[in-house]
Amino acid sequence: MVERQNSSSRKQLMTKAMSDEELMAQVRGGVGEMLGTLFERHHVALFNFFYKLTGQRAMSEDLVQDVFFRILKYRQSYRPGTGFRAWMYQIARNARVDLLRRQHPEISWEPEMSPAFVPEDQPQQDQQAFLLRTALLELPEEKREVLVLSRFQDLKYEQIAEILGCELSTVKVKVHRALHELRDIFQKLEAGKLQRKAGPQGPGIRPGSGSVQ
Amino acid sequence: MTCEEITGLLADYLKGGMAAEESARVREHIEQCAACREDVAMWQKLEAVPDEKPSAELSSRFNTMLESYQQGRWEKAQLAREHGKFLDLKALVTWARTPAFSVAWAAVLVIGAFFAGRYLDRDHNSTEQLTQLRQELRNTQQLMVVSMLRQQSASERLQGVSYSRREGDVDPKVLDALLHTLRYDSSVDVRLAALDVLSRYGNRPEVHQGLVEALQGQQSPLVQLSLIDVLVEQHSSGTADELKQLETNPKLDPSVRKRVQWGIQQLS
Repeated sequence: MVERQNSSSRKQLMTKAMSDEELMAQVRGGVGEMLGTLFERHHVALFNFFYKLTGQRAMSEDLVQDVFFRILKYRQSYRPGTGFRAWMYQIARNARVDLLRRQHPEISWEPEMSPAFVPEDQPQQDQQAFLLRTALLELPEEKREVLVLSRFQDLKYEQIAEILGCELSTVKVKVHRALHELRDIFQKLEAGKLQRKAGPQGPGIRPGSGSVQ
Repeated sequence: MTCEEITGLLADYLKGGMAAEESARVREHIEQCAACREDVAMWQKLEAVPDEKPSAELSSRFNTMLESYQQGRWEKAQLAREHGKFLDLKALVTWARTPAFSVAWAAVLVIGAFFAGRYLDRDHNSTEQLTQLRQELRNTQQLMVVSMLRQQSASERLQGVSYSRREGDVDPKVLDALLHTLRYDSSVDVRLAALDVLSRYGNRPEVHQGLVEALQGQQSPLVQLSLIDVLVEQHSSGTADELKQLETNPKLDPSVRKRVQWGIQQLS
């Protein structure tokens, strides 16, 4: 037992030093456990990617799970030596598109649900972040995506071009247009055109104010 | 330099790491052009959107998947799927598992049974049968809610909760399942949604009792706050004692403590 623990912690040390691409090459070759390290490295960023796109926690978590399932399933389609993250985000986009396609329009429970999400996402003193998130969600799908990829996901424009399958110059123009439109939306929101805050009154919860979940 | 020319460059400028000469040109334009300046400001504002943490459930779900892969079960399933490609069994199963399918299927069966029954037994009173039919349909829906609340994925459980709110007269079994969800579900969102539905049935003693019990075991401040609000609103006699007991808990979140004190005041 002790020996096994030792060897597993040694393995962890080893995988820590490996690049994403090396790890993925191993996964492709059938060493599934390497995927654990890739998950550790990227699942939070992926979750936030989906969360900014959808505004929904549970769905974003499901999508992250789906992405890693697909990575395992389609591991043979990874070309060793090519960028892992660009490939991962391509899979992420596909997962999301498939989900949108699968969803039945008649089961539209979002608006009803949304109040439950608001307090959690909107600690009292963080109006700004809430407005920004709302503004992002008001952007057309395509623009939101390119903006989230470029602003939050720590990707180079070259990588984004690869993910979206378009020219580098196109990406740059798209980023600027999206930003411009976001700015319009945000200004309207700030001017108070969209009042939808109706959380419970009384003391709010500050992020990190003690007590674990 | 015009806005047109700047468009491609601005993106680079925002990310930084641009050659000094070019970035000086961009800066020069920005100083003159209010629109571009505001775009840059918008980019910087986005800094305020914090990263959120996914729930611990996500990691455990991933580990379960990876484990099953490691144990080869996954590979076998994959193989079986390859063989079954002809029929694409998996797609069929996935489709059959969707709630819409269950409802449609239940409706088909029940309506089919109804007409069959009418055909076989023409003399029978049809209003009575219609009542029976409605009852059966309701039972099926309730079964569905209960089974959805047990799903592995949080969004499916959320859907289960939202289905439960469509029913006019809720079955005790559904209430039971919702109370269980409120106490033990790993996702805060799902717990809150369950509470939202339950709060409509707070006048039933068993629900009220369940809510009070849920308060004691609850870890998430957010759910605690909402629970206190619901309980205080109901103005029932036992609530004040429960709140006083809760107040003695030294580990209580400060904002929850404030709310508890407020609640005690309201009730006294």
